[in-house]
Amino acid sequence: MRRNALYTILALAVLALAVVPIGTAVFVLGFIDGDSPCVMCWEQRIGMALIALIGLFILRYGPKPKYVGMGVLVAAWGVFMGMRHTAMHAARDVGQGFSLEILGAHTYTWSLFIYWVSLVLMGLLLAMTRKEDLEDRPRTLRPLEALAGIVFLVVVAGNIVQAFASTGPPPFMGQGDPVRFSFSPSHWVWSTEEWRPARISLRGRWAIDQPDTANLPSDPARGPLAPVPVLQVSRRTKIGFPLQGTPTDLAYDPATSQFLVTTQHGVYLADDTLGAMRRYTVVDAGYSVDLGRFAGAAFLDKGAVLAVGENKSFVVLQPAEQANAAANFRYFLASFDAFDELSRSRFGTVRAHMMYVLSAAYDPADHSVYTVSVPNNKVKRLVVSRFDRRDMTLSEEFTPELARDAGLDLSPKRSLNEYVVTGAAVADGALYAISAAYDTLLKIDLASHRLVAAWAIPGLSDPTGLAVKGDELYIVGASGKVWVVPSPRS
Amino acid sequence: MEFLNLVVILVTAFLVLRRPQREKLAFRLLVFSVVLMVFLFSMATRTSLLPAVNY
Repeated sequence: MRRNALYTILALAVLALAVVPIGTAVFVLGFIDGDSPCVMCWEQRIGMALIALIGLFILRYGPKPKYVGMGVLVAAWGVFMGMRHTAMHAARDVGQGFSLEILGAHTYTWSLFIYWVSLVLMGLLLAMTRKEDLEDRPRTLRPLEALAGIVFLVVVAGNIVQAFASTGPPPFMGQGDPVRFSFSPSHWVWSTEEWRPARISLRGRWAIDQPDTANLPSDPARGPLAPVPVLQVSRRTKIGFPLQGTPTDLAYDPATSQFLVTTQHGVYLADDTLGAMRRYTVVDAGYSVDLGRFAGAAFLDKGAVLAVGENKSFVVLQPAEQANAAANFRYFLASFDAFDELSRSRFGTVRAHMMYVLSAAYDPADHSVYTVSVPNNKVKRLVVSRFDRRDMTLSEEFTPELARDAGLDLSPKRSLNEYVVTGAAVADGALYAISAAYDTLLKIDLASHRLVAAWAIPGLSDPTGLAVKGDELYIVGASGKVWVVPSPRS
Repeated sequence: MEFLNLVVILVTAFLVLRRPQREKLAFRLLVFSVVLMVFLFSMATRTSLLPAVNY
């Protein structure tokens, strides 16, 4: 009795699988609505058919380990297929997706759920299987089980018709962007596009190296712009206090006459000569939002300081005279009573989505935080992103173009995207950006979005940060050296 | 190729339902279909085999 109940449940599962996802997909979405599966949808649909087929094997031959095992393998592969396909669209704007939506989810997402349910059912089947269930002879199918088999045959036959029209006979196979289904052969498109040579990769366009400025070309004369006037270093100094890590950015606050220095995870406030440290902390970058390595620093309003990671995650800290050290244990790894953590989140971008940043700047005039993307092995684009301080959300993005009256020319086949901006600061409506590539200072007008000037600064070594202090620009390097140049605006 | 795979699935189901004594052949066809499905999905996603998201 118990065994019959188990087979009844399995027959119903095969029926449900055949009718709901596979049958609906071909007869309703396909033949009536004209939907045509993409190549990945096809394999996901076939995987579901294979699980139903394995169900028929078990109905006929009993829950032999090789059948249940094959069911687990196919369902596990199906979960992977569902994840792979859903990941392509899961993070898009609300409501967006690929092809048809059913009950609030697109077909590829439903397949992920169905495969997961199949895995659960296979687990239950395994748990409930007893030795006496393993039969040597094929079972005689009861009417419900035979019905499941017939329905499965009809559904697969329907899919064969759709597959012939949509994908064609071998060697043709499914397409990434299939045309609408039609019974008319004049609308059939058979393609071998998926057979074309293509580079095999694990992560594709997401295989992006983290930024590394150690081996960038530094000679300004080899940069993409010419002729670039020279801006001589007027003074050299260095950070006069020990740091945990190496300097990654610099900022200056005229209101408090303080410098802000960041290291990989450290935040330091120093006097206006960079000779003495006033307070510091080391942020626990792995707690909550993964901050990565700090690459940008800026003073915000009311004395708050901003540290931005290479991955555009950020933390906002408020210097505090009597911070609760016990409460701050969770946020910091050292000096628990120097700052309070105000917020920790992420900057989201569009054009710079696939790029890291190595700089940050704040413009109190329009309450905006700026970041500049750095090129990588996949994407080479100079993108300036502006975020509203009130909600730390993207307000604007642009890719600067060279102003006609800048007195500069781009060399043939060269691009502004070659610059690697590692430090930035806002002054007088312009973004000053120091590039570790070609040791060049760039001036980007924030109103016109154009590069209006550039200066070569000989003698730098791996510059990582930039601050404006009065009529001087301070450039810090990874070694802790600081180069001071007269502000070109003066 | 999906057409071919579905035909193989249909034949396999027919064997299971109408020629149950051909169990070995049916299972071999099942394995063929599974391998073909895995191969075709991998072909279609070979430029980025893993889901394209942050890890």
